[in-house]
Amino acid sequence: MIPRTMRPFFPALGLIAVLAAICAIVHLMGNGELEGILTEALIYMVMVVALSIFVSNSGVISFGHVTFALIGAYASAWQTCCSGIRGVFMPGLPEFLLHADVPIIPASVAAALTATAVAAIAGLIIMRLSSVAASIALLSLLFVFKTIYENWSSMTAGQSSLVGLPLYVDLWAALAWVAVTIVAAQIYMSSAHGLRLRAAREDEVAARAAGIVVWRERLIAFAISAFFFAIGGILFGHFLGTLAVSIFWLNMTFLTLAMLVVGGLRSLTGAVAGTLVVAAVRGFLRALEQGIHIGGATLQVPQGMQEITLAVVLLLILVYRPQGIIGDRELGLAAAK
Amino acid sequence: MNQIQLLADAVSLGSIYALVALGIGLIFGVMRMINFAHGDLIMLGAYALVLPTAADFAPPLIGAWPAVAMIAAIIAIVAFAALLTERFAFRPLRRREVDGATLLISSFAISYLLQSIVLFVHTGRPKSVSIFPALMRQVELAGIRISLVDVVTVAATALLLLALGVFLRRARPGLEVRAAAEDFIMARLLGVKADRVIALAFALSGGLAGVVSLLYVSKTGVLDFQMGVPLAVAGFVGTVVGGMGSLLGAVLGGFALGVASTLLQALLPEALQPSRDAFLYGLVILVLFFRPQGLFAPRAMGERI
Amino acid sequence: MLLEVDDLEIRYGRVPAVRDVSFSVGEGEIVCFVGPNGAGKSTTMLAVAGVLHPAKGAIRFDARPLDGNAIETIVANGIALVPEGRRIFGRMSVRENLAVASGLRGGLGRTGGALDRVLELFPILRERYQSPAGFLSGGEQQQLAIARALLTQPRLLVVDEPSLGLAPKYVELVFETFSRIRSEGVTLLIVEQSVRRALKFADRVYFLRSGRIVLEGSASTLAERTDLEHIYFGEESRP
Repeated sequence: MIPRTMRPFFPALGLIAVLAAICAIVHLMGNGELEGILTEALIYMVMVVALSIFVSNSGVISFGHVTFALIGAYASAWQTCCSGIRGVFMPGLPEFLLHADVPIIPASVAAALTATAVAAIAGLIIMRLSSVAASIALLSLLFVFKTIYENWSSMTAGQSSLVGLPLYVDLWAALAWVAVTIVAAQIYMSSAHGLRLRAAREDEVAARAAGIVVWRERLIAFAISAFFFAIGGILFGHFLGTLAVSIFWLNMTFLTLAMLVVGGLRSLTGAVAGTLVVAAVRGFLRALEQGIHIGGATLQVPQGMQEITLAVVLLLILVYRPQGIIGDRELGLAAAK
Repeated sequence: MNQIQLLADAVSLGSIYALVALGIGLIFGVMRMINFAHGDLIMLGAYALVLPTAADFAPPLIGAWPAVAMIAAIIAIVAFAALLTERFAFRPLRRREVDGATLLISSFAISYLLQSIVLFVHTGRPKSVSIFPALMRQVELAGIRISLVDVVTVAATALLLLALGVFLRRARPGLEVRAAAEDFIMARLLGVKADRVIALAFALSGGLAGVVSLLYVSKTGVLDFQMGVPLAVAGFVGTVVGGMGSLLGAVLGGFALGVASTLLQALLPEALQPSRDAFLYGLVILVLFFRPQGLFAPRAMGERI
Repeated sequence: MLLEVDDLEIRYGRVPAVRDVSFSVGEGEIVCFVGPNGAGKSTTMLAVAGVLHPAKGAIRFDARPLDGNAIETIVANGIALVPEGRRIFGRMSVRENLAVASGLRGGLGRTGGALDRVLELFPILRERYQSPAGFLSGGEQQQLAIARALLTQPRLLVVDEPSLGLAPKYVELVFETFSRIRSEGVTLLIVEQSVRRALKFADRVYFLRSGRIVLEGSASTLAERTDLEHIYFGEESRP
């Protein structure tokens, strides 16, 4: 169906085209709330696609990626937030940050690079561990940074919220970053590094025998993945306008993992599809929690059903369709990778 | 700070972490899966003590029962909850022979589910609860004053470890658990029933979690729907540090972590104290760098031809 | 026929390791599978024992279908596998190793003489009864592995590469014991590296190469052929 010459650009091109179409439709509908929901879904999509760069290719489950969203978001806040009263929230900031007013894109990149540096350093050790030990180490990483940031009041406002981040993330900004992330994921996937890492995922012993340095390939994927996950965190912060360390903890970890698993751990298309599906389910449940009025009656579920339902949905998928909705396939490509 | 009380705190926390790591190690041994929900089982046991309300001070439910009944009930409830997770989540997954990554995510999903349910029923506000208030006083042991709760914690841990050790060594089911932990497929090839062994491991693990619920709540007096997470993380790290696949390693690793954590808390200057966990887990990462198989990993038995 | 296997196909992922394999083992027979490394012999044995599930084909034991069943069911029905590499529980004693296996039929105290018979077949185990199994020599471990399997009181004993890594005296001992086991009514299916030994001990032999059966027949008929080496290594085209 797709001409041969176009193959290398799929699924990235196809996915971006589909997403752009969805955005155009929603924008034209003129419903502000719906646009907001879609924007939030796209922000999560940046994180989920980023996560898949590491998880899909290495086969190692990361419970700690939200660490990079945390680091990135606050690093961006340090450069851009609260015009004039930054020092009030975060008195401990060094001079050059206290009064800096960095334009948003360089600020984002710099912030994401900060997170990537942390990933690279932590990864030097974590990537050498067995998959299970690595997964735990990654959760511990998140736990450690959460604790540090919660107590580092002078730099992060501790457990209070940070308000006043510039609200520059609209539907199109989110879409743009999603496109960049998808392209990056595709490039990595098709690269020699991606191939090597997937070989190691299939059979680590054989891969080592073939000369692949597994921990190094994992580290590369991990760093790239951390960069874009941090971008997701940054977008989140500039979408909400406020930050709190508690945002970047188990809820976000669970959601991003669920989105990846529901769509399919092994494919880029899965990451995108899973995010949309879970976001839709979430949106529906949120509406139910607030109460839907049909005719004269109100359909409403109590607060907290959202999380319970999502957890049950994830478990059902894991039992009945562990490969996810999409499985191994990619949009536009006939055979499985 | 009083040196003796510090030591008591260290050994007490070490004991709790050892029990948590053991619970995790038992399941890892037979299933090669880290049960993320373990910490939340502890949390479940703690919340079973009180009535669901939104109040700050939770009216006791099982917490009001006489001591022996309360202890038995909480242990039974948590063991039962563990068995439920095994029967309805982990067993179907095992039947489908899913890979390790899927199992790991499933246990995380169950953890999240348990937290969400408790959040739903009890709300997110931390609650205070008082069980065994008699334990909070100080006692004199060989001329030294320490908290009774610490003494009870250490004693209970020692007794449990002994009992479990005897069970694993002497009892028939214990033998099967050890065989399954060493080579699961081979055990099955010799007639050991997978379902029974795994269910047993979950029941034991749940029972241990129930004990930790009681000890932990006695000491801290606080309930929070995420209280299981730091305990679970400590348990996982203890298991990894001690050497995965070794029950003794898990116990020693958990214990070492608890002791190190307490001592670090006392040694660090005031400003750095909140970052204690960072230092601790940083230390752990360093250990793993030099010994990825863990500190107390079992030595492989050699063969003589 | 005690065991009948038809058109077996076993895949690792999408790669078939064993294809179109059909064979049978009659009650009381000793049947050997020979072939080079990677031929699929162990894979086939793992499927018979229920550790691997075939993608295609049928396995029948005593005329009842067995494929797809859980390992526990297959063991309870009377098939015992001694896998490659012995896989004894090194951290447990010889006694405990035997105890695990005896559980299926009632425990060490109630084996109805099976334990005694097994210790009589392998007297060294009685000597090393309380030693940790990991301290035994390779040959002793192999004997323990077979003894364990026998305690499940199988009708068919499947042994994968019993002579691997064993000193010659132990190999002799093990194969002699196989003859004794057979005379007690246990059917044997053995994977063997040495064609010579297979032809000497077995009633019938199957040659496996690259996942397929390339030759089969009674040991006496096959022993008269001169091209066995070529068939083993796949050099039929040699002038």
